[in-house]
Amino acid sequence: MLIPNNKIRVGYAIMILLMVANLLNILLNSPMIPKQEWAQKIFYYHVPSAWVAFLSFFVVLVAGIIFLKTYNYYWDRVGLAAAEIGTLFTILVLITGPIWASAAWGKAWNWEPRLTTTLILFLIYIGYFMLREFGGAPERVARYSAILGIIAFIDVPIIFMSVRFWAPEVQSHPQVEMGTQPAGIMSTFFFSLFTFTVMYFGMLWLRTRILNLKAENQ
Amino acid sequence: MLTHLLKKEFLVELRSKEISASMLTFGLAVILIFSFSINVSPAVFHQFAPGLYWIMVLFIADLGLHRMFSHEKEFDTFSMIISAPFDRGLIFLSKWLAGTAFLIIAELLITVPFFLFLQLDIPVQWGKLIGIIILGNAGIMAIGSIVSGLAMRAKMSEVLLPILLFPLVSPNIIACVKATTAIFDNQLFAAWQTWFQLMVTFTVVFGLAGYLFFDYITEE
Repeated sequence: MLIPNNKIRVGYAIMILLMVANLLNILLNSPMIPKQEWAQKIFYYHVPSAWVAFLSFFVVLVAGIIFLKTYNYYWDRVGLAAAEIGTLFTILVLITGPIWASAAWGKAWNWEPRLTTTLILFLIYIGYFMLREFGGAPERVARYSAILGIIAFIDVPIIFMSVRFWAPEVQSHPQVEMGTQPAGIMSTFFFSLFTFTVMYFGMLWLRTRILNLKAENQ
Repeated sequence: MLTHLLKKEFLVELRSKEISASMLTFGLAVILIFSFSINVSPAVFHQFAPGLYWIMVLFIADLGLHRMFSHEKEFDTFSMIISAPFDRGLIFLSKWLAGTAFLIIAELLITVPFFLFLQLDIPVQWGKLIGIIILGNAGIMAIGSIVSGLAMRAKMSEVLLPILLFPLVSPNIIACVKATTAIFDNQLFAAWQTWFQLMVTFTVVFGLAGYLFFDYITEE
């Protein structure tokens, strides 16, 4: 049963409305920051994407722990769905980051700690999907992916600290400075964050549902 | 039980010499390529050397880990080990400790040609350098043994291992290179203390993680 029912239709409609409202809010309603002008607007997408990516990898961790405790394959599918969405959003972070950096700093890539951590996580999750693909027996793959998801998340703070000490001269992320910006910026930012989070849980729910249906049909 | 497992690892290695021999010869080949591909004055090389050293260590560790675990797979000895009635975390500990020991043995023989061929001066604080190398090896082998356990039974395990290992081990490599650079430049311990702490953290965290998760990895 892949035909969307009414609940899903309503969900889609809310998600689309929120995303359009968010886009219009960013373009028309948020104040310009001196010197950065339009380049700054990408932050309303960049930072929420990063938030969603890390939230998603946290969901992989939680799903992994629950799976190892219960061996309920529903949680394996939640973990897989979260890993897929998380990786998608790390790609968005890795695209939007350099776009902003080339406008603001004149070069597309510098080893900013958050961006670097995202890159390393992206590479780990490429490995995660390869393990899923080539791991062999489905029961074993589910167990191994759960462990890898947990280990990847344990590694995040260590990676972040090491990269931060590694290149201390790199400028900090402008996200930190956003707190000192005018109110219009913060409200737009938080609305975008809210929209992305709602969209994330919608995507997670839909993807898990599809994986569940696939598993039922096998 | 741990001593039995360790004895088994060393006995297998003593008889076949597969792991240390492959690590050693591969390490020498890497040094040869380094000296040919980066043809600069020894003073400039001095700056690259810590990074190159750890690249080499990571390569040979990857090779050794793959040999160590594929050996178990080829002869299906793993299913026999896990049928023994003891804590499976001990299997991880034996792999970790033995792997670190094999890596150190290989490095004992590789580090001399590394300094010789690349015309490097022996650092004044060579005692600390040895300490850092041993600690770095323990870190690499801790996460390496977990990842090898995950990749062992997969198709293309030899590809999967470095793909998973390199990004996961990156904080430890950063810390190793930074600490080694500081020792090469004869800096005080206070200057690279942070890196030492990071290496200890990494090793302890993944040593514990491996001990806890190996139960799930070995489960049939």
